Amino acid sequence: MAALHLASRRVPAAVLAVLVCAAGLRFALRWEWDAYGALQLPLIFETGCAVAIAVTAASPFGEPERATGRWLPFLRLGSTLALTAVAVAALTAARSGDLVAVLRDTGGLTGVGLLCAAVFGGALAWAGPTGYLVVAVYAQYSLWHPPALSTPWIWPARPPLDTGGAVCAGLVFLAGVALVASRGARDVTAT
Amino acid sequence: MTGRLLRLELRNNVVPWLLPLVAGLFWLVTYRTSMAYPPLWNVRAMTMQNSSLAVFVPTVVGAAAWLGSREGRHGIAELVTGSARPRWHRQLAAWAATTCWSIVAYLGCVAVLYVATAREGAWGGPLWWPAVVGAASLPAFSALGFAAGALRPSRFTPPLVAVAAFLALEISAQFIHGDHSRWQISPVVSNLWSIGPDAGIATFYPYLPDLPIAQLLFLAGLTAALLGLLGLPAGAGGAGLRRSAAVLTVAGVLSTGAAIGLAGTARLDPHGLIAIPALHDAADDLPVGFTPACAEAALPVCVHPAYRRYLPALVDGLRPVLAELAGLPGAPVRIEQVAAEYEHEGGNDVSIRRSGDSVSGSPPVFNVLLPTRPSSDEIRATLGRDIVQHLTGGGRGAGAAQQAVTDALAHTGDLTPGSPAARFAALPAAERRAWLTAHLPALRSGQLTLADLP
Amino acid sequence: MNVEIAELTRRFGRTQAVAGVTLELGPGVFGLLGPNGAGKTSLLRMMATVVPPSSGRIRLLGRDPGGYGPRRQIRRRLGYVPQNLGFYPRFTVVEFVEYFALLKEMPAARVSRAVATAVERVGLGDKATAKLRTLSGGMLRRVGIAQAIVNEPDLLLLDEPTAGLDPEQRVAFRALLRDLGQQATVVVSTHLVEDVGAACGRVALMDQGRIAFDGTPDELTARGEGTGAAGDAPLERGYSAVLAQVRS
Repeated sequence: MAALHLASRRVPAAVLAVLVCAAGLRFALRWEWDAYGALQLPLIFETGCAVAIAVTAASPFGEPERATGRWLPFLRLGSTLALTAVAVAALTAARSGDLVAVLRDTGGLTGVGLLCAAVFGGALAWAGPTGYLVVAVYAQYSLWHPPALSTPWIWPARPPLDTGGAVCAGLVFLAGVALVASRGARDVTAT
Repeated sequence: MTGRLLRLELRNNVVPWLLPLVAGLFWLVTYRTSMAYPPLWNVRAMTMQNSSLAVFVPTVVGAAAWLGSREGRHGIAELVTGSARPRWHRQLAAWAATTCWSIVAYLGCVAVLYVATAREGAWGGPLWWPAVVGAASLPAFSALGFAAGALRPSRFTPPLVAVAAFLALEISAQFIHGDHSRWQISPVVSNLWSIGPDAGIATFYPYLPDLPIAQLLFLAGLTAALLGLLGLPAGAGGAGLRRSAAVLTVAGVLSTGAAIGLAGTARLDPHGLIAIPALHDAADDLPVGFTPACAEAALPVCVHPAYRRYLPALVDGLRPVLAELAGLPGAPVRIEQVAAEYEHEGGNDVSIRRSGDSVSGSPPVFNVLLPTRPSSDEIRATLGRDIVQHLTGGGRGAGAAQQAVTDALAHTGDLTPGSPAARFAALPAAERRAWLTAHLPALRSGQLTLADLP
Repeated sequence: MNVEIAELTRRFGRTQAVAGVTLELGPGVFGLLGPNGAGKTSLLRMMATVVPPSSGRIRLLGRDPGGYGPRRQIRRRLGYVPQNLGFYPRFTVVEFVEYFALLKEMPAARVSRAVATAVERVGLGDKATAKLRTLSGGMLRRVGIAQAIVNEPDLLLLDEPTAGLDPEQRVAFRALLRDLGQQATVVVSTHLVEDVGAACGRVALMDQGRIAFDGTPDELTARGEGTGAAGDAPLERGYSAVLAQVRS
């Protein structure tokens, strides 16, 4: 059943997308970048992983699936957590460490995407993380060009071990996972 | 009929739904950043060009990719395949609608920034080239997203293409090394990347359109090539239409290649902008006429009207110095701001200095270059000291007497108590002035020692 | 003749969906019956010029759809409702029908009136400005029919057109078919034999990619008399009898 659920959400393709992002980051980090590049590159590839995870929240079945038994929330929860774990592992390996930063950034971005999926539908789930990426990149830039945009809600611009940023990212991730697991992505098609 | 189809697509496009997101991001990333600069068209417009594309590109690419995959996502491909109108025509209508909305949104955001800048009294007219390049980027990126969505209608295409476009945009500037890098063709580049938006350019001399023209050529070529690609597959239309698409694709590729080649011939011109020889108009090397804005501080102090708001700080900073020096032998009769001169020194290093000599004309006018952040204290410590050194012969290699008099007259307030400079500064102003009137030429020529100081 | 087909075949990989069909159709309503997988939809799709045949000859409205120019000419005079009808949720009824009127390259001056007429003819006049995502399945089916008839086609192809329609709407739809069949060739692929009986002047029964029966509904009914074939209605019994005969 789990395998069928994963196939219906195109999870294997999402895993492939995540691995391609991780490989891309690994390749990119071989080059020498200035300070902006070195800081922004991981965030961009983390966003790629997050949007790939977010769009898997969309269900191709619509109402027939919602009228089934008790397994669906667990399947959604499991697939989301598994994909996020794969993304964190792959990106950490690509960066040769920095697990804490990867976990915070990727988890938070994924949470943003899942919240968008729950509100706007799975097809548009990517808009949230993409918009957040623009804000986060700007916030990182503002660290060198004050006034710095410094709020724990823009966790990629905070130090890796910053508690506030980690809490905010964690809350967003948990909220997104909880919404998608319990309600699924919003179904925008008419029947 | 085409117009009607376009109207239908405009009414049902997804971009208007993204406008609140785009407006919010523009305000946060572009508007706030630009408005933090003083009201100078150069820095605000160039900052706008650099940062606005970071807002619009991922949004437009994602929306266009989503629209391009519409037929596949909604299961309508079979129905539209059996219609008479060529596929390329209906794809172009959908792309055009996305592009129109994107440009309207972009120009609306630019208008807000430009109106705010104009209302703050920025000198001269708006700098249009940065806005034109930004607007011309949108058809290209819209075509990129649309082509990706149409050719690969998957749920993953819009988000991954949007992020990839953002990545390409951000890292394109990382590859710029020197003033003849082909990567300067990137639409986020408004002037030499290592300088960034600089307050000293495009005021005394006009903003060069060389690089923007090359960028427009690049973006038009990219748009043509991507749209032409859509018309190449067998199902896109008849043989004639596909031939037209092939011609468009080839023309687009050639245009893009030519533009990149032109960017590779670029060089930093003395006025801080990028010149491309094949596109350069010598008329753009002529200075822009202006009436300086002046104020009195024992001497007239004049600046370019674009920097009018710095005049009070300039006058405040120079007033003590000019009060000391006005009327002395060899003293300038006027302080005037001049343009900066830029010189590329290899790699990403650029030297910025005053254009021309420090003193010019007869009677002498002292030429100054405004510092980056012109506060009274900084002006006194830099420009004020420069003016004093010109009269006293102070500076590098100066004698002890020259150095002491310079320190005293510079009024920077950091004199060691009991030092010759402190003693000289403590003299009554009239006595100090009388001594300078009598001894300044000798001091300047290095004939005096500390023992000669009162 | 609006449709001339000779020994038409269509293969999808190793599956022979249409295995040699010969038909000639003039104005009127033509029903296409058959079990699932018989090849009805594949035949309809070839007539709609959506897929090319693997072999055989086909002429539609006097033209060979193999060439781009003739195919474009055919499509301007064609109406098609596929079995799986997609739609753009944010379009309104009128916008959706107008979109297809424009795709069919109708003269601009005729579009508005044609769209209004088509929407009225399918009984959606009061839903003209409703978004498609707000409509029921039956209403969406009628929207699909409206886009197919907006250009007053000479060849109208309908694959399961009455799926989701209530009985009253099916009666109205059959009347519409008879009206359209006065001038045009209407081909209706359906599982509902009562639709065939009520609206079609001629019916073909397909099985395993071939035409097993081609005649009038009365002739199909006669085939089932006295055979003890399964079916609650005479036409159904005729249907079952023909299939049993073909498969024995």
